[in-house]
Formats: sequence, C-alpha cells, structure tokens
Amino acid sequence: MPWYLHLALRQLFPTGRRFPFFTLISTLGVALGVALLIIVMGVMGGFAYEIRHMIVDTEGEVQIVARSPIPDYRALMRKIDSVPGVEAATPYARDAVMLKFGDKAAFPMLRGLDLDSVSRVTQLGEYVRVGSLDDLDDDSIILSAQLAVSIGARVGDTVEVYSPLIINKLAADSVFLPREVRVVGILEIGHQQLDSSTAYGTIRLAQDLYGLGSTVHGLDVRIKPGMNEDDVVARINAVLPDDIRALSWQDSFSEFLWVLNLERNMIFFLLLFIVIVAAFSVTSSLLISVVRKTREIGLLGALGGKPVHVAACFCAQGLFIGVLGSVAGLALGLTALAFRNNVVLWITRVTQHPEVLRRYYQFSELPSHTSGATVALIVALTIVISTLAGLLPAWKAASLKPVEALRSE
Amino acid sequence: MSEPVLSARALRKSYPSGDGRLEVLRGVDLDIAAGESVSIRGESGSGKSTLLNLLAGLDSPDTGSVSWAGSTDTGAGRRAAFLGMVFQSFYLVPELDALANVLLARRILGRLDPAARTRARDLLARVGLAERAHHLPAHLSGGERQRVALARALMNSPRLILADEPTGNLDEQTGGGVIELLLSLCVSADAALVLVTHNAAHAARTRRSLLLTSGTLGAGRA
Ligand SMILES: Nc1ncnc2c1ncn2[C@@H]1O[C@H](COP(=O)(O)OP(=O)(O)O)[C@@H](O)[C@H]1O
Ligand SMILES: [Mg+2]
Repeated sequence: MPWYLHLALRQLFPTGRRFPFFTLISTLGVALGVALLIIVMGVMGGFAYEIRHMIVDTEGEVQIVARSPIPDYRALMRKIDSVPGVEAATPYARDAVMLKFGDKAAFPMLRGLDLDSVSRVTQLGEYVRVGSLDDLDDDSIILSAQLAVSIGARVGDTVEVYSPLIINKLAADSVFLPREVRVVGILEIGHQQLDSSTAYGTIRLAQDLYGLGSTVHGLDVRIKPGMNEDDVVARINAVLPDDIRALSWQDSFSEFLWVLNLERNMIFFLLLFIVIVAAFSVTSSLLISVVRKTREIGLLGALGGKPVHVAACFCAQGLFIGVLGSVAGLALGLTALAFRNNVVLWITRVTQHPEVLRRYYQFSELPSHTSGATVALIVALTIVISTLAGLLPAWKAASLKPVEALRSE
Repeated sequence: MSEPVLSARALRKSYPSGDGRLEVLRGVDLDIAAGESVSIRGESGSGKSTLLNLLAGLDSPDTGSVSWAGSTDTGAGRRAAFLGMVFQSFYLVPELDALANVLLARRILGRLDPAARTRARDLLARVGLAERAHHLPAHLSGGERQRVALARALMNSPRLILADEPTGNLDEQTGGGVIELLLSLCVSADAALVLVTHNAAHAARTRRSLLLTSGTLGAGRA
C-alpha cells in the first residue's frame, strides 16, 4: 500500500484507538444521508414498481391501439402471436359507462375481456377477491373494490349499465333501456385509482354496449419473460398496418411515468444535499486536521514525501469516509426498508387511523423496490462527493512548504 | 580524496524583514566527505537551521548551489534515499507506533518488504527500544522519542544524516546518550553526519567543528 493511503487509514483509525470522534461523526453524517437516500428512493421505486406490476398484470406489457375499431381482430391476433418474443394477445373494448345500483350511480371504465385468451395475457383472475373470473358471462360484470363500495353493490346484486351511446339515442329520440347485469366478482388491485373506477365484462357485452359489432378497440399483448420490450414492440409494429400501432406500457403511460420520474429525480437531488452538507463537515474537520498537523506535514516533506502524495493522503481520508459512510448508510437504509411496514403499522396504531392511510394512499402496503443501478449511483456519488470534500484540505496540505511547516510552533 | 557526500558552494540566503532583507547566510561553502562527522555551532538565530534546510534541499538558496554526491538534484524523490533528518522536536507521527514511524521512511521510499521490517526492528533494538516497538509516541519519553527518530533517519541506509539540535529538548544526561547513539550509529552505518548543536561538549565529539557567525562558516574554536 502506498504510504499516503497507509497514513490516511492510520489517521482515521490510529493504532490502539477504536473509533476516533472525527471518523465516527464524519462517517455518521455521510451514512445518514445515504440511508435516507436509500429509504426514500426505495419507497419511491416501490411505487413505480408496483404501478408497473399493476399495469402489466392487468393489461400486458404491450398495447395495440387503433385509430378506429379493428374489424378482423382474430387474424391480427394470430399475426401478433407469431411475432418472436410474443407470448399471447387478447382483444379488449373499453369505454366509460354509467353504472347504477339503487339510487347510486358511478361512471367507471368498463373493459370487455375475451375470456378465452385474457388469462394468457393478464393476471386479472388473481386479483378477484370475491367470486371468480370464471363466473363472468355476457350478462354479468366484475366490479373493482372501491367502485363496489361506492355504489353499495355486492356479489349477487343486479346493477344497471348505461351505454355511452345513450347520447346518440337521446338525440335520435329513440327509447333507450339500460342493460341489467349481475355482479359476479369484486376485484382489488391495490391501487386506489385503478380500484375506484374500473369494471370488467365480457368482450361481447362491451361490443354491445359500445355498438362495435364484431370489432374491438385494441389488443393487450404479453411478451415472453426476459425479452426486451422495445425490441418486441418494434417487431410487432413491423407487421402491423399503418393505422394500428403497438405501444409499450411505458409509451402508453409515458406522461404518468414522466411525472413519476421527475418526482424521483427532484427528491434525489434534494436529498443528495444531505450528503453534500455532510461532506462540508468532513472538509472543515480535515482542514482543522491540516492545521493541527502542520509540522508532521513538514516532516513528510523532510522524509522525501512528494506534495502530490501529501495531498493524496488527505483526499484519501475523504474517500475512506465516503466508502465507510456508504456501507454504513446502505446497511442502515436497507434495514429500515426491510422493517418499513412494521414502522408504518406502529405509526398508524399510535395515531389510530389505519384505514385512513389505506383510503388516501395509493397502496395498501408501503412498497419498496431498490434497483442495483440506484444503489450504485448513490454510492458512487457519495464517494465522489466525499473525495471532493478532501480536495481543499489536500490542496492546503500540499501547498505547505516543508521548511515553514517545520518552523511553525 | 573521493567525491564529497555533500558539497555547498557560495550559499546565500536572505529573508524579507521589515523594509529590507535579513541576510542570514552570506556565502557558505561546505564539503562533507563520506562517513565524516561535522558539527556546526552558532548563536540562536545565526542561521543554522536555515543552512541545514538548504543542505537538505527543503529550501532553495538565493544564490549558490548544493550537490549530493556530485549531483545537484536535491528533490524529494532523491531525498528519501539519500539523507535522514533528525529535529529538535522529534516530529514523530502521533497516530503511528514506534515501529510504524520507523517504517514510514521506507514506505515513502516505496519499498516495504519483509527485510525492511526486520531492519526496522533491528534499528529499534539498536536504539534500545525493542520492547517499545508498538508504543505510540505519546507513551514514550522525550529521549525515547528522539531515539525512534534516530532509527527512522537511518532506516533507508542514507549516506548523510542532518541533525538540527537533536538534544535541544532533552535534559543533559539523556541528550548525551542520544549523541553517543547518533555518533555510533553513523559510524556503523558509514553515514556522514552534520550535527547542529549548542553544546560544545557534543560538538567536540565530531571529527570537525565549525562555527556559523555573521552568515559565514569558519573553523570552530573547540
Ligand atoms: N521564513 C522566514 N522568514 C523570515 N525570517 C526567517 C525565516 N526563517 C528564518 N528566519 C530568520 O532567519 C534567522 C535565522 O534563523 P534560523 O536559521 O532558524 O536560526 P538558528 O537555527 O540558527 O537559530 C532568524 O533571525 C530568523 O528569524
Ligand atoms: Mg534552529
């Protein structure tokens, strides 16, 4: 090991002393910043990850959309099925309807599903909490949980569905009767927005309601695991006619994801300042140490140490604190993430509002997803910032002339 | 006579002082032969430390030149191998134990091998501190610290030792012991010695005694 690294380590961990104050405090400051970054990024990443899961589980990774309803969708399905990387495709029809139960009404999106193929593309069945997807027929629907609560309908109840075409019919002065359907299931995905305003029926029910005949609005596509989504999308687009496009779920939700990303980046940037502030305290401690060690720095010169190596000795102390703080912060942050739900539970118990949290939060549990790339970025930035923190003290130390340093009393 | 280990020619050095300049050295010439021991005495403020720093290449003269073994390269890279220094205030690194302080000289040279560790332990044994190898400077007495510094100065088998009042912070008896040790170490290592001291008795132990007065070196009245 070069002498300046050895000396840097020894100054942080002198022989015989366990953990000197300077090292402890500096490391702790950096570690707290890293821990907070890990926790907040983990939870925010969790939200994004859950949203991805929900979208992909309910609609597949790729959506086929068209300017006008697609007539011969079965042929299109076969065509897409044969694209390499595609697992399966399923048609859908989707529009807003009015739902009425007793004197309560709601205006959810109703998605028509092709029961033969939907389970090969989505995991909707797994989210049905009461009843079953298998019970669905052309005269029944499944309600999302919040929707069912808001109109007070339960499995077995009969609700009225009004088609969006009601406007046209009213204009033509023709009589319009709602469709009566049975509720055969309650579906809960866990996302407040998705659970509050979606209903599911068969594709034929939807085609009837939307006056589609035998056409559909689009297709949901599942791709084979491990395939690159963008590649598959490009391959599908290559076989599609011009007025029909394949979009990855990122494209379909690009605005939403953009906002989510912006939020994450802003928070990351703000929290990074904690690390920067911690680095400032490292700088000031190291500056004090340079002043305190003036004569030893002079001695290093007398022993033949080069100024650039003297500088490296102080930079390295910043680097070591950065590495140590990153490791400690990582451990602290990941531990906190592992116990996050206990913490949330404890808080809601103390404040006695567990159900409020569920109602207003997007998810029923605090999600967390820590990507290796985020951790790597946090650690790399922390180490760079800490090393930069050693730069000013290092420059100070290197610019001391040995003679003057040795003279100083 | 073979080429001198150290040779200084017409060294002049002044420092800014008030409106003018303080002329500290006004033309110093010095040759030190291999293995020779020389003492330099002079009043406080006469420029002894200034001269030693110039000889060590830690500072540069206004005019004149210093050469080590015939070469005027007196840079840091060469210093580590060529000379060892001992100071009045010891200057041990407080975070390093005695052994690590001795080894630091070799680390800076960049060649730390098992043989170096053996040599450092031998040197500590030579200065009577074999048992204190893992003591921090704070746990050593003044005399012991200076003996660690002696071992450190000799670690890289230098051809020259520059000692600036090495007994200045020690009592008479301890100081005498340190000088004995310094002289005998230099003899057995075949290193030349320049010893700056106040003490006439110590100065008398070297082969040659010089006196620094009015910025020039002259023969000392031993
Ligand atoms: N860097 C400096 N700036 C100004 N004056 C200095 C400097 N270094 C030494 N001097 C002056 O030069 C003179 C000689 O100093 P020094 O060589 O330390 O003397 P000695 O070691 O003989 O006691 C003193 O008067 C001191 O004040
Ligand atoms: Mg002096």
